[in-house]
Amino acid sequence: MRRTIVTGVRGAATASVVVLALAACGGNLGTAGGAGGDFPDGPVTVVVGQDPGGSTDLIGRAVAELASDELGVALPVENRPGANGAVASQEVADSEPDGQTVLVLNASLIAITSLVSPDDAVSLDDFTIITGISRDDYVLVTHPESGLATLGDIAASGQTLDFATTGVGTGSQLSQQLLFHQMGVQGNDVPFDGGSPALTAVLGKQVDVASIQLGEAYPQIEAGELVPLVVFSPERNEYLPDVPTAVEEGYDVPVAQYRALAVPAGTPDATVEALRSAFEAAFADQGYQDFNEQALLTPHEVSGEQVVEEWTAAKEKYESIVEEYDIDLGAAG
Amino acid sequence: MDSFTPVLDGFAVVLQPTNLLYCLVGVLVGMFVGVLPGLGPAATIAILLPLTFDVEPVTAIIMLAGIFYGAQYGGTVTSVLLRLPGEASSVVTVFDGYALARQGKAGTALGIAAIGSFVGGTVSIIALTFLAPVVASFALDFGPPEYAVLAVLGILLVATVSNGGRLKAVVAATVGLLLATVGRDRFSGAERFTFDSLSLADGLDFVPIAMGLFGLGEILYNLESRDGPLRPPAKIANVWPSGQDLRRSTGAIGRGSVIGFVLGILPGGGAVLSSLAAYAFEKRRAKDPSRFGKGAVEGVAAPETANNAAATSSFIPLLTLGIPANATIAVIFGALLIHGVTPGPQLVDEHPELFWGVVNSMYIGNILLLVMSMPLVGVFVKVLRVRTSILAPITVLITLIGVYTVANSTFDILLVCVFGVLGYLMKKFGFEPGPLLLAFVLGSLLESSTRRSLILFDGDVTGFLTRPISGTLVAVLVVVLLLPLVARLRRGGAAPPAVETDDTAPAADRAPVKPRA
Repeated sequence: MRRTIVTGVRGAATASVVVLALAACGGNLGTAGGAGGDFPDGPVTVVVGQDPGGSTDLIGRAVAELASDELGVALPVENRPGANGAVASQEVADSEPDGQTVLVLNASLIAITSLVSPDDAVSLDDFTIITGISRDDYVLVTHPESGLATLGDIAASGQTLDFATTGVGTGSQLSQQLLFHQMGVQGNDVPFDGGSPALTAVLGKQVDVASIQLGEAYPQIEAGELVPLVVFSPERNEYLPDVPTAVEEGYDVPVAQYRALAVPAGTPDATVEALRSAFEAAFADQGYQDFNEQALLTPHEVSGEQVVEEWTAAKEKYESIVEEYDIDLGAAG
Repeated sequence: MDSFTPVLDGFAVVLQPTNLLYCLVGVLVGMFVGVLPGLGPAATIAILLPLTFDVEPVTAIIMLAGIFYGAQYGGTVTSVLLRLPGEASSVVTVFDGYALARQGKAGTALGIAAIGSFVGGTVSIIALTFLAPVVASFALDFGPPEYAVLAVLGILLVATVSNGGRLKAVVAATVGLLLATVGRDRFSGAERFTFDSLSLADGLDFVPIAMGLFGLGEILYNLESRDGPLRPPAKIANVWPSGQDLRRSTGAIGRGSVIGFVLGILPGGGAVLSSLAAYAFEKRRAKDPSRFGKGAVEGVAAPETANNAAATSSFIPLLTLGIPANATIAVIFGALLIHGVTPGPQLVDEHPELFWGVVNSMYIGNILLLVMSMPLVGVFVKVLRVRTSILAPITVLITLIGVYTVANSTFDILLVCVFGVLGYLMKKFGFEPGPLLLAFVLGSLLESSTRRSLILFDGDVTGFLTRPISGTLVAVLVVVLLLPLVARLRRGGAAPPAVETDDTAPAADRAPVKPRA
């Protein structure tokens, strides 16, 4: 499987060199005609609001690498970490709407962060979404000695459970808060700084359970070091077909990390269209599909309109459940 | 011996010419980025990741690991020559390293650092080879309460390592702790000293503060003597450490290796704590602690050995448990994933050639590092021959570019300038930046671990005493606190700083300690 990625990427690199050379000869190879004819005008920067090496960054790099093949220009990735991605989002929202700056946008920033820090909530109105990318699922895990194997065990345990989250205002925290409140189980919200410290805490039996992104928890689940209890996606995850969803178990907790590509609002339609077809070509690449499989991502390559619809619905849903159960995500510590 | 076969096979893997070449390239690139302040190994590895798609996973990881430990040594060079610690774990090196450089003994400092790094790294790899599966669970036994007590212990050591007045060190450390509180509260999301700026939401970053306080502050301070006679470039007395230097450092290197290996296993803060602990330990057991901070060779040997040993043992949680210990290792984790290898508990069984290949590449990498760095010492120290009026502006420029590349942030450049002015004022009024910076690094560890512990204990502080490891650490803490007091009482109040050795020191290393009259 590895070799296919390798050849895929190498092929893309060679091809992009060829296209670059052609473009340099004066031929305008941009797929957009008419109004967007000047696009792309030089390299298209892909801004990632997270540190290099994280899943958002890896996704951004995988997509950018392959899309440059289609667009005929380089797509350098620029990491601009800060405030869960709000810094990068603001920077891109304020940039020239000419399609030369593209943002990898996380749904949590739109739908969940605002529940904790309403001030720097990012509005979807500031962006035109090019396309959805993929879904990254959260899985509730425990260590084998906890004696918990199903949600029923949690409900029956009758004690306060310590649950680790990957931070305040993350899908990890929201999913567990919603679940515990709906189950009527007492939970102790313990925020950690990211996925790997939270994972370490469950492995070391410092806490009872944690909601962690599948890519991080999967090796431990495979090795039998962690027991998956439930996934928070709307339907079962193809990589964990035997693990039920929270929704199936009767709890209204559809939480997952979705990612999309965005440009500032006001970008010409033809430019957005050119970018969309470039990214669609990347999605179709075998190497990219293998990458999704390696990283345990579920492709969710839906249209920009559908992304806006889904994310807005999620935001409203979370707001109403949080209000209904009187959940305060900032109450820990 | 059946179980040993994969280890030897691992050597066969490393000694393939391609792998040797990639190891060399990695170490070279690592040294280079380590010398450039700012552009850290994590970012470098992320950028170079696509270059490794064409090669076998083991080759790729060998190169990336080479970048990682090459950068550790590169960071030492700037710490010693220009007073620019690129990473938290080399802050302590600055104290004596830069002092040595000012005395024209930069070669001594760099040479001892290279030797210490080599020994520390190698000892750590040997320990890793034989102990990795055994000690891995150690990382898991450390929960929030243990980290909280460890952070208190670390902050206490900060006061010990400073070389100026105790009171000034405490003031500086307090400011450091306060700076650590800037940023959005990690537990409630509340804004703290962010002034509604998104740039401050995640708090202050280590690199701009370190570059400002140490690097820029020093340059600004030197400008004061601009109108006087030009300070001649430091004389370069020697390039190689003398026999006496080596003899002096032997013990420090040995102890630094052990401290570094043990603390390096802990994900989060291991490397910083190890360099700090190794330095503090040497200073405590020295016959004349006042030499420290004025160019004591052991003051360079101990932390440099320890941070390299820690860098190596930080691979243990990744390779045996699948837990990345720090940002750089996290990027290597990502690289493994892209190559279709999932680091985790099953790595040793499923990909033994990869596991042992990487481990054994560290032996080779360390030898390469030593072989390359020793002749380069002579080149590096020539930097000091450059006149200050030329060297200073170039240093400022490189520093600012380096800081910008960390997060592509112009705000960080501004921060360097602000902390540069603070560093200048501190130096002028006799405060040391070291305690401030180290307290800043440990402050956030202390705050979040303590709060996390209290959530787990339901607010009951006695929880710190009832857990075996944290209870033991609290006992150590009490001993460290009381020893100087007891010593002072015994000597009728007029005693010099405590010189007692810790009871945990290996008996063979313990020399009879006599306080100087």
